[in-house]
Amino acid sequence: MKASIRVCLIAAAACLSASVASAQTFTQPGEGKRLFDGLCQDCHGTNGAGDEAPALNHPLAADDATLHKIIRDGIPERGMPRVRRMTEEEVNVLAAYVRTLGNGKTETVAGNAERGRAVYARLDCSSCHVINGQGGAFGPELSKTGQRRAPSWIRQAILDPGSVRSKGVQGILQNGFTEYLPVSVVEKGGSEVRGFRVNEDSFTIQLRDASGKLYSFRKNDVTNIEKQAGRSLMPPYRDRLTPADTDDLVAWLYSLGRAK
Amino acid sequence: MTPRLILSAVGFLLLLAANASAQVPYGRIVQAANAPQDWLTYSGNYNSQRYSPLTQINRQNVAQLRPAWMYQLKRPGVFETTPIVVDGVMYITEPPSTVTALDVKTGRPLWRWTPAIPDNVIVIGSPPVNRGVAVLGDMVFAGSIAGHLAALDAKSGIVRWDVAVDDNRKGYYLTLAPLALDGKVIVGVSGAEAGIRGFIAAYDAKSGKQLWRTYTIPGPGEPGRETWGKDSANIGGSSSWLTGSFDPALNTLYWVTGNPGPDYDGDVRPGDNLYSCSVLALDPNTGQIKWHFQFTPHDVHDWDSNQIPVLFDDVIAGKPRKLLALANRNAFYYVLDRETGEFITGMPYAKQTWAEGLDAKGRPILKPGNEPTIDGKEVWPNLQGSANWYSPSYSPRTKLFYQFTREMSTIYYKGQAKYTAGQPYTAGGGTAVDGDNAYAAIRALEGTTGKLKWEFKLLEPGMDGVMSTAGDLVFGGTEEGNFFALDALNGKPLWDMQLGGPIHGNPMSFAVDGRQYIAIPAGWTLTVFALPN
Repeated sequence: MKASIRVCLIAAAACLSASVASAQTFTQPGEGKRLFDGLCQDCHGTNGAGDEAPALNHPLAADDATLHKIIRDGIPERGMPRVRRMTEEEVNVLAAYVRTLGNGKTETVAGNAERGRAVYARLDCSSCHVINGQGGAFGPELSKTGQRRAPSWIRQAILDPGSVRSKGVQGILQNGFTEYLPVSVVEKGGSEVRGFRVNEDSFTIQLRDASGKLYSFRKNDVTNIEKQAGRSLMPPYRDRLTPADTDDLVAWLYSLGRAK
Repeated sequence: MTPRLILSAVGFLLLLAANASAQVPYGRIVQAANAPQDWLTYSGNYNSQRYSPLTQINRQNVAQLRPAWMYQLKRPGVFETTPIVVDGVMYITEPPSTVTALDVKTGRPLWRWTPAIPDNVIVIGSPPVNRGVAVLGDMVFAGSIAGHLAALDAKSGIVRWDVAVDDNRKGYYLTLAPLALDGKVIVGVSGAEAGIRGFIAAYDAKSGKQLWRTYTIPGPGEPGRETWGKDSANIGGSSSWLTGSFDPALNTLYWVTGNPGPDYDGDVRPGDNLYSCSVLALDPNTGQIKWHFQFTPHDVHDWDSNQIPVLFDDVIAGKPRKLLALANRNAFYYVLDRETGEFITGMPYAKQTWAEGLDAKGRPILKPGNEPTIDGKEVWPNLQGSANWYSPSYSPRTKLFYQFTREMSTIYYKGQAKYTAGQPYTAGGGTAVDGDNAYAAIRALEGTTGKLKWEFKLLEPGMDGVMSTAGDLVFGGTEEGNFFALDALNGKPLWDMQLGGPIHGNPMSFAVDGRQYIAIPAGWTLTVFALPN
């Protein structure tokens, strides 16, 4: 369920009180973490280590004013809601806490990134994923995976891709909708098209199939649309990788987009 | 006097006469249903049915509908206006509080007025929006997020008067379209999330003088004050932020009220918290409350009852009744007798998990354990409700009540809050369970019972009003930007168009030179549709 939970736009900041004893105590030491846990953790992960939304434990926005503005106004086009019902002082306290996350150490991982690069090549992951401009564009780009995702999330996405859900990567589907959702469409003639959902509205749906071909259907013109929640077009690698190879691949992907 | 001067004088008098006929006397608003080429109030006319008697666009030809013109906002914002159209001019509001007059045939601006909004304006509880103007006589009336009400000259936009309705530094602000009655303008206020004490007020249309003010939370010694325990009444919210309805024959004004505050912690305000989450029937001359009906006593889920009270007449159990129907944010549909306030019937029109049902008087029978908690409690409907401010529609032809229905839950959290003037006062909040786990539908409910007649499913729970027409169409929008027409009889989709931005507004219709138009705000654009010439 966690993947489906989005902080409500209107009441976003209101839920901070769930973890904060009193609106008058926000400036107490430690309140920034409580604000973060109430407001931000669902998407940005525990201690900002990254989940559906980017990790925050790396150097962040250039200056405090920018960070303050991002927290206050959100990045709606990337799915980050703006915060309401929050005073400027509270935003400052939260921003200061987020800043400390950026100064923290990144997680250490067991694997070896260079060996992981070789695993990535051997599995031909680049047939579907782009890293630094190279590779197939069918799946999500991985160039900045280390900024966005915690190692645990990356591991799960490799072993059981259907169990993690992407959002905010493309920034096209918003309001909590799952990106790269597998969809099967049966046309009136009986032929079936399988692919992932690129976009959807109440009257139409757009898919891309494994060959990269784009389809746009009017819902009235097809006989069935099946959205396959919990599945992924990427095969699971649970039974195809040794533990050591998995560690190495996680280390490689976690190194992407982060300063050495 | 020379013949030429006489001609000039006659011409001048004719001009004056034309000007006089261009005015909007009260009687013209009362008779709005007989002049469907105009759209004279927020909901079309006083009964708030948002129903257009125009028939040129109908089930047979709606598939040919196409844009006639567009108008783009001068600056981005959430665009929730319902245009008013009168005598070839359209009056809209642009976020946050600008009023613009447009040539109704082309969309070209005629004048624009932007009030002074301080940089530190306090808007807590909603986006900084405006839902439209009221017209009366030769003036246009608009509220602002700075908490003011202004009267503008309808031809020039020049200010006739401008008054502070209440103190924005305490969190009072205006988002609603005012309602113009005989010689007066009615407004309500936003700000329950800042701990205001809500009220409804009437202003003299000519001078801007306040004629009466009725608080939506009783004062000391008044009946209902005892429903606010622990000295909570003076900061109890109960705002009045949506345009009401009016029955000229009964001389009764109907106004709806919002949530009590703080929103999610009811412990600090024990009792029913009258008149929050209610509809009030008021004497428009004095503001005196004739009757009240509270939909959600002691609300703890932010379920404002700021939904449009729709007035219509029908026969129930063989008896003609004057009715008021409302599809509430709390997921129940209510039918009341609007003369007496008597509860006639009510039933859920959307998924809800908080009540067993309604008792014989319409009071919800609570299921225990659905209050917000420190760890969060998932409850249907969503914090934004099964319905919200956006308009329903009632067609006297089909006798159906059309409602954009949100099917979505929220995990509600409880916190604590201490009141500070002009600061958030909510004590909790919620996380929405949305995306692929939620949906919406246009539901057609039998007006007198609330029974589902048909539904048309939509992808996302948005904030999209509907309008029905005598062409037996229901127009509606989606969060994703679709604007569409359904067959009012069976919900079959007949036409749709992607407008490229979310629709957070209500459709309306008007006619000029014998041509019917449909208007809808979407994204940052107002689009006006018509059939091909």
